[in-house]
Amino acid sequence: MDNQHERSTSEDFGKREYSASYAFSQMADACIACAGCTASCPVTNADGEYVGPKLIGPAQHRFAFAEEDLEKTLKYCTNCKTCDRTCSAGVKVSTINMLTRGKYYDSHPHKVRDMMLSNHSLASHVFRSIPFGSKIANFTLKIARYCGILNMLGVTRNRKLPSYSADSFVDMLLDLDQTPKNKKVVLFQGCFIEHNAPKVGMAFVKVMEANGYEVLRDEKFVCCGSPLVSAGYIEKAWENSVINAKRILYWQRKKIPVVACCTSCSLMLKEEAGELFDDELLFQAGTNVYDAFEFLKKLKQNGELVSPSKKSEETLLYHVPCHLLSQGIGTPAKEILENEGGSKVKVLNTGCCGMAGSYGFQSETAKISLKIGEDLFNRINEEPEASVISDCATCRMQIEYGAKRKTLHPIEILADLYEKKEENPST
Amino acid sequence: MKTIVIGSGLAGLMAAYISKKRGDDVTLLASGAGTLAQNSGCIDILAYTKDKTPVTSPREAIESLPETHPYKKIGIKNIEAATKEFLSLVSSYGLPYCGDLDGVIKVSTPIGTLKSTSYVPYSMNGAALFDAKKIVIVDVERLKDFYGDILRDNLTKHLPQGIELENITIDLSINGARDVSTIDAAKRVDLKEGFDKLVEELRPHAKEGVVFLLPQILGLRGDKAYKALIEVLKTPVVETTCLPSSVNGMRLVRIFCRAFSDIGINYVENTRVIRGVIDKSRVEAVVAKAMARNVKYEGDKFILATGGFLGGGITLESFNNARESIFRLPVWMPEGEKNWSNEKLFGSCPQGFATAGIMTDNALRPVDRHKSVIYENLFVIGRNLGGYDLFFEHSGNGVALASAYHAAVQSVK
Repeated sequence: MDNQHERSTSEDFGKREYSASYAFSQMADACIACAGCTASCPVTNADGEYVGPKLIGPAQHRFAFAEEDLEKTLKYCTNCKTCDRTCSAGVKVSTINMLTRGKYYDSHPHKVRDMMLSNHSLASHVFRSIPFGSKIANFTLKIARYCGILNMLGVTRNRKLPSYSADSFVDMLLDLDQTPKNKKVVLFQGCFIEHNAPKVGMAFVKVMEANGYEVLRDEKFVCCGSPLVSAGYIEKAWENSVINAKRILYWQRKKIPVVACCTSCSLMLKEEAGELFDDELLFQAGTNVYDAFEFLKKLKQNGELVSPSKKSEETLLYHVPCHLLSQGIGTPAKEILENEGGSKVKVLNTGCCGMAGSYGFQSETAKISLKIGEDLFNRINEEPEASVISDCATCRMQIEYGAKRKTLHPIEILADLYEKKEENPST
Repeated sequence: MKTIVIGSGLAGLMAAYISKKRGDDVTLLASGAGTLAQNSGCIDILAYTKDKTPVTSPREAIESLPETHPYKKIGIKNIEAATKEFLSLVSSYGLPYCGDLDGVIKVSTPIGTLKSTSYVPYSMNGAALFDAKKIVIVDVERLKDFYGDILRDNLTKHLPQGIELENITIDLSINGARDVSTIDAAKRVDLKEGFDKLVEELRPHAKEGVVFLLPQILGLRGDKAYKALIEVLKTPVVETTCLPSSVNGMRLVRIFCRAFSDIGINYVENTRVIRGVIDKSRVEAVVAKAMARNVKYEGDKFILATGGFLGGGITLESFNNARESIFRLPVWMPEGEKNWSNEKLFGSCPQGFATAGIMTDNALRPVDRHKSVIYENLFVIGRNLGGYDLFFEHSGNGVALASAYHAAVQSVK
C-alpha cells in the first residue's frame, strides 16, 4: 500500500530541470540595492577580493544572459545565508549564488579536493565496509596530511580533517536495544553524526528515551546535500534531495516526524532544497522535519516534556549556527537548557564562525575562514570558565581550533541531566 | 510580563532593550536585519518646523507641533527620558554621544552640506569646523562614496569666511581588488597596521589650528579609534556622515548585538509575522512564518515596529486604501490624491505620502476613525506612526527612540 502510494506521489517528482528558474529572476528583481547584505556579509568583512552578496547575487544575476563565465570571486561565498537573513525584500541571495556556482560546474571540472570534502558519506561507506576501516581511514588521512598530499590537493596544511569514530552511529544505535514505544521519531543523523560524532546522536537518543520516545533510523537516507551544494555539485544535491524527500514524505504519512541534530541538514531538508530546486514536494517534505530542540520545545508546549532529574548551574556560551538562525525559530536550545536544565545560556551574537563546512579546510579560503571567526573567538575567550555549545558540527570544529575551547552540542549538555535508563510511561 | 516586539530597526531594538531592562521577558521577532545599515545613527529630534524654518531648540519647537504629531502624544518628559536611555546604552558600550534638546549640532555630510541634528558620537560633532583656521579634507585612495572636491566647494558656502580648506588623499594600504567602501576603510583603521598608517599619513598636516575632516572611517568598535587618533595628533578630528552602508549604523548594530547577548533578549531572526490572534480588544498572540511551519508567540504586550511603506509595515492594498500589514490596522493618509505628494521632492512643505501611518492615542495604542482604541495591549512605534514627515522635519531616529521608550515603559492590564 504504502509503497504504491509513494510511487504515485513521486512520479513527476524531481524530473524537472534544476537550473535557475524564472522564480529566481523575479527574486533578483526584488533587490532594492540597499547593500544591507554587503554590510553584514562575514566574507566581505573579512576579505578585500570578494565583491559582496549584492553585486554577486542579484546584480550579477541580471546580467547572467550576457556573461559567459561567472564572477570569479563567487568561490568565496560560504553559503552561510547571512545575506538572506539580512534582506528585508526577501531575496535569497545565497541561493542565487549556489545555483550560479552549480551552473558554472556544469561546464568546468571540479578539483579532486572538492569531491573528497563534499562526498563525506560516500568515502565513509567505503571505509566502513572493511575491517578496522575507521582506523585505516584516520591513518591514511594522517599520512596524507604529513606528506603534503592533502595540501597538494588543495586542503590546508594547518588543519586536521575530522577523524572517523571507531563505531558509526547506526552500529551504536543497534547495540542499544531500545524498548519499542508508541511514540516515535526518525533521526536524520546526517554524515557527521553517523561517522564522526555518534555521541551527539546517542545523546539525542537518551533524551528522547527519557521522554518516552523510540528513535528510529532510516537506512535509505542519504547526505542532505548541503556540502554538495556548497561545492557546486548541484545535480547530485538535487538527486539526494529527492531521495530524502521521498523518505520524509513516507514517514509523514505514518505520522512520524523526522528530527535532525545538525542544523545544516535540517535547513536543507526543511526549505533550502525547495528553494534551490523550486519544487513543491520538497517543501511539503520539509513540513515533517524538525530541529532537535525545536521538537523538544514543541513537546514542552504540549506539556509532554519530561524535566531532567538533575539541574546544572553552568554558564554556557552559545554560538548559534547561521543555518539555525535561518530557520526562523530563534534559539529553542537556550529556552530548554535554561528553563529545564537550570543553566545560564548566553547567546553570543558574534556572527558566522567562518567554517562553513569544508570552507575552512580549503587552501584558498582557510585564512578567510579564520578571519571571519575572530570576533567569535575573542568573545569566547573573554569568559575562560564558561562552557561553549553549538548545534553545528563544523562550527564546533572551528571554535575548537580558533578559540582552543572544547565545544559541545547542546543536546549533550541536556542528555547529561537525565538519569541513565530513566523509564517513563508513554502516555 | 511577556513582551513581543515586532521589527528590528532602531525603534524595535530600543523597545526590546528598554522592556528587558525593566524586567519583561522579551522576544524580538525580525524579518530582515532592520535598517541600521542604512541609518546614520545621528539622533535627529527635530530640525525644521512645518514652514521649513530651521529649529534652534528642539525642546521649544516640539511645544508648537500639532496634536496629531507623535511627539505631542509622547510628551517632552518621555522624549528626554528616551534620549537618556539611549545615551547611557551607547556610552556603556563604548560609543558616547554628545548633544541635548536645547540646541542643535551641525554635522557635515560627505558632500559638504551641513545637517542639523541633536545627538551624535563625539567624532561627528562639526562644531570644531567653525573654529578652525584650516580644514584638511581627507580623501582615502580607492574609497568610493566620498567626494573631497565637492565637499570642499559646498562646505565653503556654509562656513564663516577666512577658513582655509585643503584637500589631501591618503593611502591606508587597504588589501583586495574591489572598490573600497567606507566600512572597509573603517575596518582597516580598527587594525593596528591600518591605524598606524592613518596616523603616519595625517601627522605631517597636524598643525596648530588644523581640523581634519574625514570620511566615516574611524573604526567600527565604538570610539576607540577616534579617541586614540585625537590623542596622538593633538588636533580636532571630525567625521562626516556616511552614504549607506553606514559605519555609524554598524557601530550601533555591534552595540545592540552585545547588549542583547548580555541582558538575554530572545531574538528570532528570519521570521515574518503574518497575523495577530485576537480576543475582543486584546492581542493574545501573533503568528509568524518560520521555515516549514508557522509559530505562535503568545504575549501580554505587543509592540509594533515594522516600518512604513519601504519597510513593509504598511502596504497599499488598493488605490486609496493603505493598511498596516499584520493586524490590518487602519492607516491615516491625507485626503485626496492631489495632497499625497508635491512636485518638488525637496521643496518647502512636507510630502503627504510621508505622513501616512497609524494614528494612536497618547499611549501609542492604535485608534480607529472615531479615536477609540482598537487593541489595548498593542503599541505602535517608529515609522509605523502617522502624522509626521521624518524626511522633511528630520525627526526619524528621534521619534523612533521616544516612541520606543514610551511604549516600553507602559504596563498593560
